[in-house]
Amino acid sequence: MLSTDQQSTLHALMDRIIPPDEDPGAWQAGVGDYLARQFEGDLRDSLALYRAGLDALEAEAAASGPAGDPIAGVTRFAALPAAEQDALLKRIEAGQVVHTWPVDPAQFFQTVVQHVNEGFYSDPGNGGNRDAAAWRMIGYVPGGREGAR
Amino acid sequence: MTTYDVIIIGAGAGGGVAAGVLAEAGKRVLLLERGGHLPIPTAPLDHLRNQRFSPYGHNAGPEIDGNPRVTVDLEGQVAVIRPHEGGYQNNAAVVGGGTRVYGGMAWRFLPQDFRMASTYGVPAGSSLADWPICYDDLAPYYERAEWEVGVAGDSEGAARHWPRQRGYPMPPMPISPQGAVLRAGAARLGWDTFGIPALLNTVPYGGRPACVHCPYCVGSPCPVDAKNGTQNTLIERALASGGCELMTETVVNNIDTDAAGRVSGVSYLDSAGQPHSARAAVVICAGGAIETARLLLSSTSARHPHGLGNAHDQVGRNLQGHYYPAATGIMPEAVFDGLGPGMSTVTVQFNHGNAGVVGGGMMTDDILEMPIRYWQHGLPPELPRWGIENKRFMRENYQRLVRVTSPVQEIPSPEARVTLDPAVRDRWGRPVARLSGATHPETIRTSAFMLAREKEWLAAAGAVRMWGKVPSLKLSAGQHQAGTCRMGVDPRTSVTDAWGRVHGHDNLLVADSSLNVTNGGFNPVLTIMAMAFRVADHLTQTW
Repeated sequence: MLSTDQQSTLHALMDRIIPPDEDPGAWQAGVGDYLARQFEGDLRDSLALYRAGLDALEAEAAASGPAGDPIAGVTRFAALPAAEQDALLKRIEAGQVVHTWPVDPAQFFQTVVQHVNEGFYSDPGNGGNRDAAAWRMIGYVPGGREGAR
Repeated sequence: MTTYDVIIIGAGAGGGVAAGVLAEAGKRVLLLERGGHLPIPTAPLDHLRNQRFSPYGHNAGPEIDGNPRVTVDLEGQVAVIRPHEGGYQNNAAVVGGGTRVYGGMAWRFLPQDFRMASTYGVPAGSSLADWPICYDDLAPYYERAEWEVGVAGDSEGAARHWPRQRGYPMPPMPISPQGAVLRAGAARLGWDTFGIPALLNTVPYGGRPACVHCPYCVGSPCPVDAKNGTQNTLIERALASGGCELMTETVVNNIDTDAAGRVSGVSYLDSAGQPHSARAAVVICAGGAIETARLLLSSTSARHPHGLGNAHDQVGRNLQGHYYPAATGIMPEAVFDGLGPGMSTVTVQFNHGNAGVVGGGMMTDDILEMPIRYWQHGLPPELPRWGIENKRFMRENYQRLVRVTSPVQEIPSPEARVTLDPAVRDRWGRPVARLSGATHPETIRTSAFMLAREKEWLAAAGAVRMWGKVPSLKLSAGQHQAGTCRMGVDPRTSVTDAWGRVHGHDNLLVADSSLNVTNGGFNPVLTIMAMAFRVADHLTQTW
């Protein structure tokens, strides 16, 4: 599984991919739960990519941060203002990184974007989209009787 | 060893129909299906594991492990892929085959679809050809499929475009809100539209209830059994007749021949992997265009060193499906009522007679779309894939999106083909299908033409923003796979005769989409069913 630090980085990252506004963002909608379940199933083989990518994202944030975190001494991604988080992610998406990444930065980011949206927009039975929040947001409201379901 | 009158390989659209016709005609039938029975679902649909959207697997097989295929792309890159991955060209592997989980559009091909070469000439490098039969030959069997499997449709609208003896047995699906705006748009353009025929019960039919308009039509079995496939019609009839034995989770590893080279039966592995042989007077292949070709190619012997029916290197060639250019538009108001199946309106204005291109295709509105699939495939290309802008777009526009799609009739290429992979084996040790080549480039030009018509339609319907791109050159087969054992007169350019009988064999037949010389500008399932009715009917009459 992910370390506590990696988990908090992932939380901040998914909330820039699908940010909270008047509707829940990715984390509040349960995408963290979706991924935790998938890391024990279909995405077992992606866990190494996540670990390496999340650590590299933190290294990138530390290198680009304006000032050190007063306690940890480095800038953590989660502590950056949203606009700076987005600017950093756009660089990663374009592969323009200052640190040496053990994985392809653009591929890592695209993978997380894909998985986060799967968790957000798929059926709640997969562990994300808590209380069908994403479906209610977009108006995917089945109008017919679902019969045996 | 058990002896049957007929062994049918594959219990899908074609094999299921053939089993019903032959069993009711008093033949002793063995129907072999590699998949199992899919139950009527009692839980909500898994949006990430179904036949429509399958990043992590399917709900109707085949199993993702042990069933590889090999693909060779246009740059010569070879890949071993699993059934839920792109390029596999998967079709459902269950009793009923694709009919268990399809959307069920129930089209007849148009009379011109049977004579494409005569109508348009043969583009250089293509294998475009006329069928050895015409629309009138197939019309009575289309009618049987419409009544015996069960089609709901707009009888009056269809009669404007097809010569028909009889209407549909059920009234059409209701007009969806997106269909209503598209009909208004078409009226402004002077285009004819009508209701889409579908293998769905709009009223109780065949002892089963009417559609309840749930949102899960394509990719899922029907939760109330209102969708008509072979598993709940012709296969049921075959079993009820007492003359048909259905074996599931059974794979055929060879079509056996005797010392003289005549087909004598099949060798198969049961669900426990135990080998068996069965003998029969007649063997019918109905495993779909890829698996039927693969099995014929792999059934080699001293008398048939290149496989069965393959003396002229024709088996497996001309693999085709449909190109699907799709245009999406945003309407000023919501056009979403949440009622499945969602598609309701078609025009066949551009199937033929389009200046400067070969053929065309029908155009319809699309089925109610799962949100994740829309996010994956439906958004404007310039929209960021993440961030607040992406979220806002989904929130503000999901209910206003209308997609128009068109199954463009492919111009076949002999280089788009199924061969046997020389190295890769499936879990039963059988050589797997190797898929290579691509459609003929004329298909791309026709797709570009149709995409422009789709956008024209959306604009006339009031779309405020539109997008969609022309598909690139690639192999296309998927659930509409066809053409690998085309029927014809000349054994040098076809695999079977006009009755589905493999050239050079008196007792080996094909009764699936492999027979289709061309694939129409329509979903092909009603044609597959009609062809199977015709092949099986002729077999009983000449037995």
